[in-house]
Amino acid sequence: MTTNASASQVTEAQPPRTAGQDGAAVELRAVSRSFGAVRALDGLSLEIAPGELVALLGPSGCGKTTALRIVAGFEAADSGSVTVSGRDVLHVPAAKRDMGMVFQSYSLFPNMSALDNVGFGLRMRKQGGAERKRRAGELLDLVGLGGHARHYPHQLSGGQQQRVALARALAIEPQVLLLDEPLSALDAKVRLQLREMIRSVQQRLGTTTLFVTHDQEEALSMADRVGVMRDGRLEQVAVPGELYANPATAFVAEFVGTMNRIPAGLLTPTQVRPIGGAGQDAAARAQADTGDVLVRPEELQIAVRPGGNGIVTDRTFLGAVTRVSVLLSGDVTVKVDQPTTAAAEMTPGTSVEVSLPDTPVLVAERQ
Amino acid sequence: MAAIADVSQAGQAAPGPARPGSRRRSFPAWRWLILLAAGAYFLIPLYAAFRFAGFAAFGQIFSQVGFSDALILSVKLAVVTTLITLALMLPTTIYVHLRLPRLRPLLESITILPIVIPPVVLILGVLQVSPAQLKASPYLLGLEYVILAMPFAYRSLDAGLRALDLRTLVDASNSLGARWITTLWRVIMPNLRSGLLSATVLTVALVLGEFTMASLDQYQTFPVWIVAFDQTSGPVSVAASLFALLVTWVFLLAIAAIGGRAGRGGASQVTLFTVTRQDRGDSR
Amino acid sequence: MTQATAPAGAPAPVTEPAARPGRRGLAAVLRGARDLAGLVPFTAYVVLGLLLPMVAIGIGAFQNPDTGGFTLGNIRAATHGIYLHSFAISIELSVVSAIVPGILGLLIAYAIFTARRGAVLRRMVITASGVFANFGGVPLAFLFIATIGTTGIATGWLKDLGFDPYSHGFTLYDLTGVMIVYLYFQIPLMVLVILPALEGLRPAWREAAENMGARTWQYWRYVGGPVLLPAFLGCLMLLFGSAFSAYATAEALTSGTIPLTSIEIGSFLNGNVLAGQENVGKAIGLGMVLIIAVLMVLYVFLQRRAARWLR
Repeated sequence: MTTNASASQVTEAQPPRTAGQDGAAVELRAVSRSFGAVRALDGLSLEIAPGELVALLGPSGCGKTTALRIVAGFEAADSGSVTVSGRDVLHVPAAKRDMGMVFQSYSLFPNMSALDNVGFGLRMRKQGGAERKRRAGELLDLVGLGGHARHYPHQLSGGQQQRVALARALAIEPQVLLLDEPLSALDAKVRLQLREMIRSVQQRLGTTTLFVTHDQEEALSMADRVGVMRDGRLEQVAVPGELYANPATAFVAEFVGTMNRIPAGLLTPTQVRPIGGAGQDAAARAQADTGDVLVRPEELQIAVRPGGNGIVTDRTFLGAVTRVSVLLSGDVTVKVDQPTTAAAEMTPGTSVEVSLPDTPVLVAERQ
Repeated sequence: MAAIADVSQAGQAAPGPARPGSRRRSFPAWRWLILLAAGAYFLIPLYAAFRFAGFAAFGQIFSQVGFSDALILSVKLAVVTTLITLALMLPTTIYVHLRLPRLRPLLESITILPIVIPPVVLILGVLQVSPAQLKASPYLLGLEYVILAMPFAYRSLDAGLRALDLRTLVDASNSLGARWITTLWRVIMPNLRSGLLSATVLTVALVLGEFTMASLDQYQTFPVWIVAFDQTSGPVSVAASLFALLVTWVFLLAIAAIGGRAGRGGASQVTLFTVTRQDRGDSR
Repeated sequence: MTQATAPAGAPAPVTEPAARPGRRGLAAVLRGARDLAGLVPFTAYVVLGLLLPMVAIGIGAFQNPDTGGFTLGNIRAATHGIYLHSFAISIELSVVSAIVPGILGLLIAYAIFTARRGAVLRRMVITASGVFANFGGVPLAFLFIATIGTTGIATGWLKDLGFDPYSHGFTLYDLTGVMIVYLYFQIPLMVLVILPALEGLRPAWREAAENMGARTWQYWRYVGGPVLLPAFLGCLMLLFGSAFSAYATAEALTSGTIPLTSIEIGSFLNGNVLAGQENVGKAIGLGMVLIIAVLMVLYVFLQRRAARWLR
């Protein structure tokens, strides 16, 4: 359930940290990858500053997981380069890349206790038993599972398993932390808790992190910057606030947050902001009704008026704000957010007048 | 072969989430070596048997003394066994699924018993306790074959039932006014087609190939005949063996084809012992 | 009965038809009995067809054939002398026929499991395994006689190449030969049973191990091997049982010349039995069943362990 606009920007866009003690700079340059006829990645370029948490956000099939797996070394790239601290890693086998990865689910080794799981990477690095146990115990404490060191994965809940997986990835003090939709398999409440934990741990350690998800709320609330992907390409990389307020393409506009799409003929804007390739045509498009207006629920204005341009069909209570669904002429339904007190009188069936704000409004090509 | 050409593109992975092997650049050679060696081991004897028997022998099979009697006996037994097995196991399995789901593990354990007891021991006991009239009839074998077929039949039917939401179907059918027989005939059995087919084919294959109990009970079923006939003509015996094999294969491939079309399972439903795993949906 | 005013927060008790506790208990018991009645045909059949013969064997094993009285003589005979020898041979045969196909089957399963054009190859091999696993007995014996019997085709090929296996002491008709023939249905059985276990090895484990810096052998040593071990051992139990109970193949191949337990039991039915020893066969049979039963218990235990990890 999406919440009010400002609630999505929980962590205000922060400038990337400078040189965290564990962080390394990661750069992908023009990375491409095809699977047969499918072009999973199409010239992806991305820079991640040391200590920064960048989220790759997009619908399934957009290539975000492929990109992550290429960085990790589980997929090869057809072309392009990936460098960590300036060194090319594409020729380095996955086992030697010094990156910690958290998988989507059930990646803990079932035959080992939590402690042994966490210590596994250290064992591979030939660390002695006592030191290994100590360090693994430290990390389990860091994720709040110190008391579960002897438990086996099948004795732990999904959220606990992912915390152990996080500890395991961090135990080796990796240069880069990679997270592949680590919260998707968990239920909502656990997801929220883990979100905060991942973020705080990451910030504490200053590890450069690449985080893949299809949940925009997750991305917006956790990341320093978010890259929105579609069909193997990055549509926009920016701090969450920027993505929300100034989307570069219609896709980003509609993927991030809730966006209404209204034919320009129904609600004609006075001032336009072009989006994507609309350019100067935007104004013309708006006038000639060959474009669509993109406007957020909280930006639309609504008032009860007999004989207005719409009829209320539904109301959804969201707390301080109520989302009112209005059927405009034609078959276009828009959502308008109103303070709950004001929305009290907008019962279904009420005739209302919906209008655009005076501020410049996004206009995109008609879909 | 396309598969061999692929070996050279070591880094190429299969579309979608990579499976562990799809990225293994290491040693594709040994894999083919093993499969080739296995293929040779399994196929050469077949070829050798063909060569040994010669085409002439195949034609002669059908004219040999005792062939038709033995074959007919085997077929009769197969029919009887299958009918009794299905008549016994189908209602029982459905019943347990519906009314006594907690007894399923017990039923599974019981149906494992015929595996634990070697047929040779079973026939020993059977001949001990059977009344004379029964022993005088070959159909005693048929009755015991039901026991031998039980594990396979039960598992096939059980697997088929587990794929259905039996409770819901039955409740829906009953609520619409159907009687039990109608529900069984029109609702359950059509949905159980692959399970029924599996059970049938496995039972038939078992009966047609069963040697131990038949020979010790001293009835000349087809396999028994083949061995006895070896004294007379080796090539014909071998040809008859191949014939028996061919028939079994056709049956089993039929299940694989039909079962595969009906969804997952296919030939792997034919097996008795598989580690059943939960639905892997939660690994997403 | 529902309460008119329930305290805040307490759910109203569920209404139930008033019944005295005793009556309710009896009704439940009757209902339970009626439910169980549906199992009568099945139970009756199993009792008559399986239980009864086994009880007969169990009793007969301790019964003196002449007097009908209790005796341990059958057991004694079964566990000494030639019969003990056959137990030993059978066990030896079964152990080898479990381990060798076990390992080979695992390798084959792994080979197709990691193949790239996986789907087609796997389907083919699974189907073929299903077919070959149900092979055995008479046709199989004859197949191999035609292949590497004294006048077999492959024997002929080897002779043409200058090597006559039979003059080097090899023969199809002894224990080694039987082992070779048993591979034909044991290997496919192993492939079929170990494949689901292999599929239970999640790719994430392999990748996580690699991510942690493990190489292939380290993955197998620390994760893959230990996780697969219960399933593998369980399959070995299965293979052992299968080889141990096998009768037809060995009989068709050797006509009873090798002392195998299953064949010996057969000979009791054929009348090749000394006076006073009629019931020894039952004692031997009892022994066979006990051995396999123990193995099956182990198998179930191991499978449950495997299922826990390979879920």
